[in-house]
Amino acid sequence: MSRINDVGGMQGFPPIEHELDEPPFHADWEAHVFALNRALLGQGVYNLDEFRDAIERMPPEEYLASSYYEKWFHAVTTLLVEKGICSATEIHGG
Amino acid sequence: MAELFAAGDDVRTTRVDPSHHCRLPRYARGAVGTVLELQGSYRLADDSARGIPAEPEPVYTVRFQAQELFGSGNHVVTVDIWESHLAPAKGTSDER
Amino acid sequence: MSDDHHGSAAAIAAHVRHVEALLEERGLVDPTELDRALVAFLARSSPAGGARVVARAWSDNAFRERLLDDANAALPEMGMSMGGGLQEQRLNVVANTDTAHNVVVCTLCSCYPIALLGPSPTWYKSEAYRSRVVRDPRGVLLEFGFEPDPDVEITVWDASAESRYMVLPRRPTGTDGLDEKHLAELVTRNGLLGVAAV
Repeated sequence: MSRINDVGGMQGFPPIEHELDEPPFHADWEAHVFALNRALLGQGVYNLDEFRDAIERMPPEEYLASSYYEKWFHAVTTLLVEKGICSATEIHGG
Repeated sequence: MAELFAAGDDVRTTRVDPSHHCRLPRYARGAVGTVLELQGSYRLADDSARGIPAEPEPVYTVRFQAQELFGSGNHVVTVDIWESHLAPAKGTSDER
Repeated sequence: MSDDHHGSAAAIAAHVRHVEALLEERGLVDPTELDRALVAFLARSSPAGGARVVARAWSDNAFRERLLDDANAALPEMGMSMGGGLQEQRLNVVANTDTAHNVVVCTLCSCYPIALLGPSPTWYKSEAYRSRVVRDPRGVLLEFGFEPDPDVEITVWDASAESRYMVLPRRPTGTDGLDEKHLAELVTRNGLLGVAAV
């Protein structure tokens, strides 16, 4: 399926970056996104396929510019709005 | 549920490029490979992602030669593929 | 909808806190429980667990066979599992030999045996790795400083469905006298993914 996440075989990406002994999360907010997503999945607010689908629906330029957990957070907020848990205004409001 | 394929069967992946979520990578579309192993039965991700009810169906590990996928390379790539995305391959990969 | 997406780390951290607070208001999350679950997860899921499994397989041929045949059934022998939270996934352990080398990837996203090994490394999730390793595994391994012999067949396992993959590296030579604890210390996460020999 030709969405931006489907990169197998695609050419032109930069050299792989190696980080020795990297921690599980590089910032607190990443750990929170991780935990939040697991909790929402566990409660059946959405399923893993819907979660992946939400990431894949990111505009390509945004997908490529986003870090891994930025992608996750995008999916979480997208699904919270699409599932009617929060409104778009609430999610992005102050 | 009965499986269509067994280990050792030659299979061809679909060429279809759907507009929805799909777990068949584009590099493995329209390719001939050999079934290595049944992974179990699972609801088709395409449907699960869209809230479409689906019965579990067999998922197979399919083995492809790199030549078949990319036209180069001497390695092997395996992909785990839902039965919906597979058909029996007619003859060998030489006949297309 | 995503205007503040690439703002500073502070901006995204604030946004995450905002969403958490919103969900707490709705009674959907309990921050204390989130923290507890995360700490528990990280404690039981880490590369050290994978290393212990490998060390056991190197030391005990019968366990090795059970692991390769049905890893999900073998892991509990060591107090580990692919469960613990979300749905248990099938784990396939693929063994390196003198003629076969295995590498693991998820080209479509970043599927990884997280229940056993904990969160995956950043490089594994990168478009660079995911795009290149299926097309040019030897080139990618070279980027990691690893060069299998030319006559070794490389298999790249793309975890595109519900199963997860882990490599069983070859036991290094000259390690006959080592006990499991010391054998485990030889195993790296990169080895468990196939981008290093061990």
